[in-house]
Amino acid sequence: MKSISLYTNNGSWLTKLHPFSKIFYLVAAIAVPLISGHLPVFLGVILLSILLLKSAGLVHKAFPLLAFSFTIILTVVIIQGIFNQKNMTVLFSLGPIHFYKEGLLYAAHIGLNILNMLLSFAILVLTTSPSELVEELEKKGFSPKFGYIINSVFQIIPQMTGTMNTISDAQRSRGMETEGSLLTRAKAFLPLISPVVMSALTSTRERAIALEVRGFGGSAKKTYLYSHPYSKADQVLKALSILAVVVTIVLRVVHVL
Amino acid sequence: MGKLFKTNFTTPVIVLIPACIGINYLGKLFAAVLKLPLWLDCIGTCIGAILGGPIIGGICGAANNLIYGFTTGDNITLVYALTSFFIGIAVGVMARLGYMKTLPKAMLTACAGGFAAVLVSTPLNIIFWGGTTGNVWGDAVFAATQAAKMPVFLGSLLDEIVVDVPDKIITLAIVYFIIKGLPKKLTALYDASSDIQSLD
Repeated sequence: MKSISLYTNNGSWLTKLHPFSKIFYLVAAIAVPLISGHLPVFLGVILLSILLLKSAGLVHKAFPLLAFSFTIILTVVIIQGIFNQKNMTVLFSLGPIHFYKEGLLYAAHIGLNILNMLLSFAILVLTTSPSELVEELEKKGFSPKFGYIINSVFQIIPQMTGTMNTISDAQRSRGMETEGSLLTRAKAFLPLISPVVMSALTSTRERAIALEVRGFGGSAKKTYLYSHPYSKADQVLKALSILAVVVTIVLRVVHVL
Repeated sequence: MGKLFKTNFTTPVIVLIPACIGINYLGKLFAAVLKLPLWLDCIGTCIGAILGGPIIGGICGAANNLIYGFTTGDNITLVYALTSFFIGIAVGVMARLGYMKTLPKAMLTACAGGFAAVLVSTPLNIIFWGGTTGNVWGDAVFAATQAAKMPVFLGSLLDEIVVDVPDKIITLAIVYFIIKGLPKKLTALYDASSDIQSLD
């Protein structure tokens, strides 16, 4: 069964970091360029994220994530470059179509912001196991019931995709068409999804009973299976992230940036 | 008002949330596999909202986007957690008011959900994307309005309406038929207004 989480334990230094210190980096990496608002700052942080991923040997896994957003960024560039209302100066023309400087600059801000967010998220997502993150959050007072919801999603989805494949095969063997015109494909949707949904909903009843039997609703204090103390690298990353945000705000307030 | 938002956080209701998130994922997956020009990614949120009430619907929606955002790296969905949250609330409130009993009424619920999505998504689209939605049809509308020198807000609003309202109408039609087919012993588990009678 294929997990939907992108995490793989490759033993690099980023996977060994505490989940919280990666979240500190994530927040700082997104906040610093947004507060400063300058394109070079965006580029700098993007480069830093790529270097960090490189040092953990994960760059090749981050690129599929970027490819996903590429079409959206391209749409933004084309639409803003041609139609932005503040467009004044023509930068270049492709035949009869003119691209304007103001719109393209605006699109560059949006595009770089998206790339920056994707890359800083990639650092957290590719190197942190969801269940570890949830456990650490629970230790800080996050509700264990919500913790269960999150962990359970990761078990349910591969299960449901399995059921989905079985049902697609079953329906196809009965002669249902899943390819062809839009109408044929639309008609296939309901017979495909309703059995999966029905079985998912009916199995919640059994799951609820199984959980109740194991004391899920109990109010006694829960204990934890794993512990993950803060290392030296964690302290450094956390301190640097907070420092970066504070310095940017101060520079911004005194109008240096 | 209090009854409209009444929620029982019992174990069956908690277990319902991940199931609904899974259903959202499957809806999106099937829509992609069958190459339908719709999202269909809030079927689960609507089911959660109808069975568990507005609060559960809201939690399903928000948790759905937050979980995918934080684990699959698809953090574009992260900002739309707010949209999903309000779709869940809107559909849940409509269902509690009895607007899920017949198919025409369910269509009204769909419009309420669709407009909730439009109202919340439009500002987010403008802030993060400069007004586009990433859907081909919607963005064609947006480009047309911008070429006609209409305000960005109006263009983006139309962009969203063109995509979101038909999407929600189809979603709610599917949800209506699914809910109709659920056994009573299952739906009774989530009924917030039920009370247990003791025999002694």
